[in-house]
Amino acid sequence: MISTLAYGLTVGGILYIISIGLSLTFGTMRIVNFAHALVYTLGAYVLVTSLQKLGVGFVLAGLIAVLAVIPVSYLIERCVIRRLYGQSVDYAIIATYAVLLIGVDAIKWIWGAIPIPLSDPVGTSVTILGVELPVYRLIIIAISLLIFVALEAFFSRTVVGKIIVAGLEDKDAVASLGISVDKYFAVAFTLGSCLAALGGVLYAPITAVNPYMGFQVLLICFAVVVVGGLGSIRGTFLAAFALGMVMSVTGRFWGPAADTMVFVVMGLILILKPLEV
Amino acid sequence: MSLAITGRPSLFDAVVGFLRKFDVFVIAALFLLLSLLISTDRTIEFMIFCIFVLAYDLLYGHMGRLSFGHMLYLGTGAYAFALTGELISGNPFLALLIAIAAGALLGLILGPIIVRTTGACFALINLAFNQLGFFLALVAFSPWTGGEDGMSAYFRKVWLIDFSKKTTVFCFALLSLLLVIYLLRRLTNSLFGLLLRGIKENETRVQFLGYNTFAVKMVAFIISTSLSAFAGALFILNYSYVTASFIDPLRSVEVIFASLIGGAGSVYGALVGGVGYKLISNYLPNYIQRWEMFLGVVLLLLVFKFRTGVWGYILARRQRLEAPAALESKPPEVSR
Repeated sequence: MISTLAYGLTVGGILYIISIGLSLTFGTMRIVNFAHALVYTLGAYVLVTSLQKLGVGFVLAGLIAVLAVIPVSYLIERCVIRRLYGQSVDYAIIATYAVLLIGVDAIKWIWGAIPIPLSDPVGTSVTILGVELPVYRLIIIAISLLIFVALEAFFSRTVVGKIIVAGLEDKDAVASLGISVDKYFAVAFTLGSCLAALGGVLYAPITAVNPYMGFQVLLICFAVVVVGGLGSIRGTFLAAFALGMVMSVTGRFWGPAADTMVFVVMGLILILKPLEV
Repeated sequence: MSLAITGRPSLFDAVVGFLRKFDVFVIAALFLLLSLLISTDRTIEFMIFCIFVLAYDLLYGHMGRLSFGHMLYLGTGAYAFALTGELISGNPFLALLIAIAAGALLGLILGPIIVRTTGACFALINLAFNQLGFFLALVAFSPWTGGEDGMSAYFRKVWLIDFSKKTTVFCFALLSLLLVIYLLRRLTNSLFGLLLRGIKENETRVQFLGYNTFAVKMVAFIISTSLSAFAGALFILNYSYVTASFIDPLRSVEVIFASLIGGAGSVYGALVGGVGYKLISNYLPNYIQRWEMFLGVVLLLLVFKFRTGVWGYILARRQRLEAPAALESKPPEVSR
């Protein structure tokens, strides 16, 4: 019971960290961004290289990974995403999928296709109410909550955050105030990409690092974004943890059904409340 | 093309008109030629894939709805076909009919939910259902479908038709493709096709004209799912083996790529795209190790530079060349 709850919260936390970028991209630019999975995978791979080649600690390696995706995400935003503003959703899907395809192939080129396992960086576990829980998972939950608080503050207290939130509501009105909206959307995009890389870093020790790790996670994150409401920052938070719980509870009874249940929930939500895109 | 440049569009038009009139034979001849150039086996696969692209294009090219989970309908046909062979009857034609009916039934059940949506929602809800179907085939129904290992499907001889011979399968696949082309062309050149393109442009206006757009979309959706299921069944007829890869949602992008490469919304475009994509994915890995990267670059180029695909580009070029002639006399021809 407790372990199911803890697992659900862990998965929910990671889903939240990854999904927030997707939600922002969709809310601000109306783009279904498949390239998000690339940044996530890249984060995990840079982490692996930093750990193995540079011999630094996990925290520093994670930081390097998060910073390393900034130029990549800038390039993606500049060369692909920006040219898709205001275009049909179909082309955005295809173009960002093409970016994902190129990136995953490049990763296979550089690092090879063989999955790389990572050991738990903390390695200890605590006993809560008679259940043994790895400390690393508790740290993930704490980090995700910390990020939620930080993003709440960023979006309600800082000027940049406020402009992005306003842009989510009404892009034209913000633009008419003389603010270069695209610049701020690029900031939001880079922020989302960094968080996705962080998600990859945090999830890497739980799963094995492989070039296709992004695909499956991305599909689940789409479900999170759809359930939470496109471009809704708090909705994404709630949906991520709700779907994380759905996954862990389903997985407890029937392991292989865990991922599928998420899509069942998403299907139900879409039936009840179709999106207007 | 070169004829038109030399200032004799009439001869060029005559040739094109002649080819168009008998294009069914031209297509058949081209596929026969292809089977000589590459293996018969591969050509069969190409033709069946073209049927799938055509079915997909009815929704994407004509109705303007991008589905991101069309493998579900292909896989439904594939499994219905194989299961009929194992459980009900060894007659391949009966199994094909059951597979098409299964696709139609699935379209009828899911349609009311799916066709109401547009844009990203349409793409994602198809993906969600595809994931569900993949799970059912791979895990939940694995005692019947064989799960990850798959299941084999053998059919008995009916009269003189023996599908264990590749030549028979080739002829049957070619005839099926030509039939599907004929049916879809009749469909899209009718009022129904006009309504579909109207829905693509502006659904509210079509409603305003008094048409029940929901019914139109449902019919198009069911036709697309049935034809996809038909293509799935043909794949199994060719391979005599079905695995979960036939319903894998990650493979749904193949048909989108094919549709985009050729150019959406035309029969020729779908054929060019289907054959083109299969050629790239089958042969390019032999020459370029990083073929996925190449495919990605091609797709980016298509999206940013040649949005109408190969066939659309050819059509546009031709229209530009013929522009002076068109000014004089006739209105521009409707692309097929």
